[in-house]
Amino acid sequence: MELRKVSIRQAAEAVNSGEVSAHQLIEETLNNCSVLNEGLNIFTHIAGIDALEQAKAIDRKIEKGEKLPLAGLPVAVKDDICYGVLPTSFGSTAFKEFISPYTATAVEKLMDAGAIVIGKTNLDDMSLGSSTASSPFGPTVNPWNTEYTASSAGAAAVATGVCMLVLESDCGGALRQGASHCGVFGLRPTRGRVSRYGLNTYSSSFGQVGITAISGENIIGALEIISGFDGKDASTAVCKDRPTGKNNVPDFEDLRIGCPAAAFDHLEPELREEYEKARQVYADQGLQFIDLDLSLLSEALQAYYVIVLAESSSNHSRFDGIRFGAAEEAGNLEELYCKSRGAILGREGRRRSIFGTLLLRKGNYDLYYRQALRIWNLVRREFTNALTYCDLLMLPAVKTLPRLSAAEPDFLDSWSDDLFCAPVSLSGLPALSLPAGQLQGIPVGLQLVGRPFSEEILVTVADRVVREVKFFPYGNS
Amino acid sequence: MEFEVVIGLEVHVELQTESKLFCSCPNRFISEPNFNTCPVCLGFPGTLPQLNNEAVRQALTASLALNCEIAYFSYFDRKNYFYPDMPKGYQLSQYFEPIGSSGYLNIEDDNGRPKKVRIGRVHMEEDAGKLVHAVGGDASMVDYNRVGVPLVEIVTEPDLRSPGESRRYLEQLKRILQYARVSDCKMEEGSLRCDANISLRPIGNQTLGSKTELKNMNSFKAVEKSLEHEIKRQYDILNRGEEVLSQTLRWEEDKQETIVMRGKLEAHDYRCFIDPELAPLELTVEQVEKARSALPEMAEARAARFINDYGLPEYDAGVLTSSRCLADYFETCLDSYNNPKVVSNWIMGEFSAQLNNVGLEADQCSFRPKELAELLQMIDEGVISGKIAKEVLEKAFQSGKAPRTVVEEEGLLQISDQSELQAIVEKVVNENPDSVEKYRSGTTKVIGFLVGRAMKETGGKANPRLVNELLVKKIEE
Repeated sequence: MELRKVSIRQAAEAVNSGEVSAHQLIEETLNNCSVLNEGLNIFTHIAGIDALEQAKAIDRKIEKGEKLPLAGLPVAVKDDICYGVLPTSFGSTAFKEFISPYTATAVEKLMDAGAIVIGKTNLDDMSLGSSTASSPFGPTVNPWNTEYTASSAGAAAVATGVCMLVLESDCGGALRQGASHCGVFGLRPTRGRVSRYGLNTYSSSFGQVGITAISGENIIGALEIISGFDGKDASTAVCKDRPTGKNNVPDFEDLRIGCPAAAFDHLEPELREEYEKARQVYADQGLQFIDLDLSLLSEALQAYYVIVLAESSSNHSRFDGIRFGAAEEAGNLEELYCKSRGAILGREGRRRSIFGTLLLRKGNYDLYYRQALRIWNLVRREFTNALTYCDLLMLPAVKTLPRLSAAEPDFLDSWSDDLFCAPVSLSGLPALSLPAGQLQGIPVGLQLVGRPFSEEILVTVADRVVREVKFFPYGNS
Repeated sequence: MEFEVVIGLEVHVELQTESKLFCSCPNRFISEPNFNTCPVCLGFPGTLPQLNNEAVRQALTASLALNCEIAYFSYFDRKNYFYPDMPKGYQLSQYFEPIGSSGYLNIEDDNGRPKKVRIGRVHMEEDAGKLVHAVGGDASMVDYNRVGVPLVEIVTEPDLRSPGESRRYLEQLKRILQYARVSDCKMEEGSLRCDANISLRPIGNQTLGSKTELKNMNSFKAVEKSLEHEIKRQYDILNRGEEVLSQTLRWEEDKQETIVMRGKLEAHDYRCFIDPELAPLELTVEQVEKARSALPEMAEARAARFINDYGLPEYDAGVLTSSRCLADYFETCLDSYNNPKVVSNWIMGEFSAQLNNVGLEADQCSFRPKELAELLQMIDEGVISGKIAKEVLEKAFQSGKAPRTVVEEEGLLQISDQSELQAIVEKVVNENPDSVEKYRSGTTKVIGFLVGRAMKETGGKANPRLVNELLVKKIEE
């Protein structure tokens, strides 16, 4: 079965009906994995025998007449999301052997639906970044041009067809930028819609579990399975207040897309041109555009980094050699902390801990942290306000092409890559990254941002537009 | 120069919940180290805290019992610090917004006048683990059983003026929290911990002098003693014209003196910020009013009721309500023996003496209220004398046997058999002709002496009323 050509519904139906066994499917997938992994470095761990065992268990269930919505489908999980069967490295050499005694809620829900985890996908050191350039396992190579990084290994996995779904973390846009650079779909759901339990994130405010797949349809299928209230994550309480049932998708002609033209001025001319072309395609499909202003993008990016640095310094303080990570030889406690933390955290981790510590210090707290919280509030209001004038917002997903595999990027450049994604993270709104065009043979994506819990609308629009146009890199399924 | 003593107390009490503050581990003491732990309280990466609603209810109850204003909207903050007793690297505590503030409780000052002690804040936080230093080794070990146990911290304004007031404040606080059933407040077991801030200033001065902080007091008595010790030390320093250094002192119970723990009281910079993983704590008016109306009757109200309903003297009511369990004991006993003053006398006298001997509280001994009632009934029935009853109580208290069993086994039944007593009466009359003569000549009060002789003859078992009757009859024959 060519995984890029079928929907999860079709694939699950094939397994449920016995047309293909889960075991066959997984065996085939694992073979592809090892071949691809050699060239692209997608996986930190490949499940192998565990996945085959699980596939057999699924086949037994199906023999007994059970129907599972994701029966036997190969999925992968980014290596900062805990899955108790395989090591969870958090992208750090210090945790190469770490096996968590628990599994993330979202992963559990996928598995309950019949999915089979075939591996853990690569990431930046402590997932601090959106390029995989700092991964101790080496960067993941972009399947479209091996000179470049994939940005997200999960996106590369989906693009190459070795799995149908990947659960990935998204803080400032790693998932969305990765999807953009690999020409696939990536959803950052409404904050609280998917449980964060089991996701090791450097930013508790913005880190979320999202989904990467080959189509909007597949994303929404998976979202329905992994979303919902979870007693283990307080943020999911928003799901309880939400009326159940599906979102009604309005007629295409009635949808208004808000497009902040000024935002596109931040782009290089060639990239901007690609987005202009994409916009024209949407207009040709009958979607109405309204111009509006998102004036706080640059401030939002700064506020995002102030908050994220502060939270990193706190979230990473447990990696001190006493509870987590190896302790270094030391004469006293302070030395133990300095040496061990210095060894466990990578360069970016150390940088963020130091910056975050400084930002939270008395005096600085009011100047920076409190100010960032204020901006956060303003940004939230600006997005909410914009979505009273339109149904969706359209923004670029990326500012540049992906990083070159060999280059060590400047950290400020890396941070500024999040210009279009981080502000959306602050808004707490759902955002879908989807293919929009290509530059030098590498896909570029755009983001559709919707009101809370409007993911169904986002994917419906996305699937319909993408089907009609030639820039979808995988043809029309 | 004359100085005024200024004391403020910071008290931590453990709440009596089934489980810990942010996970489902039992909130119970266990000697095996690291037994009551789970990934959440051990701060495993990817886990999230879940707030225990029962702990919130108890903290709310404590705040109301201490006459506090309630914060309808509060949250938990992270206090960041590096020490092995906190696996996450930070403590979750209500630093910015305590659940209760601006409360007070009433005590008596050193001259017996009523005094209001202001309580600045009551806030929730999680307890830390315990460092254990290996005997004879150079290793330190950590026991995380206590990590995450729910605490409330209760901080007074600098209103206390003497060690005696401080002690009475603690006794009153303990009584209130026990009455409110939120903590057992056993300082010796660590479920109540107290730090004291103390300074001296010239009488009439409004500004506070430089203070020291006292730690490591293991009993109310130790708090009083350490304060006395510290007042004297500061007094001597000031009288020599020197300055008191701001420092943290540790009370050494064995030596009855303090040693310097930390130099200058530097304000720790805990880099606090609102925890982004827990939802804000919102209380509804209904919740608060429900907790307020569920507040149990406090000691003062109960004492007033004992005076009104049972006709007890003020003294008795005060003693019986000094602890909730003693007052409960009294009232339970009344259910089966309805003579309040008699019950009160026995509880304040013999029963309390037995408790003091073994250092137990009323709810911890095996001599239950129904046993006391049984004992008192036996006196009324003439089965035993009041004198013998004291012996029976002591034996029943120590052996755990029922009073009736003790009476039977020890042959303490009262002699009410006329023929048996007649012989003794005759013996007493024959052996004490002088007293008999005195009686006959009108000094009738010697009858008491003669009854006493008869009681002695029977080892206290004779029914004194009957002996008196028989003696009078015999002498007047």
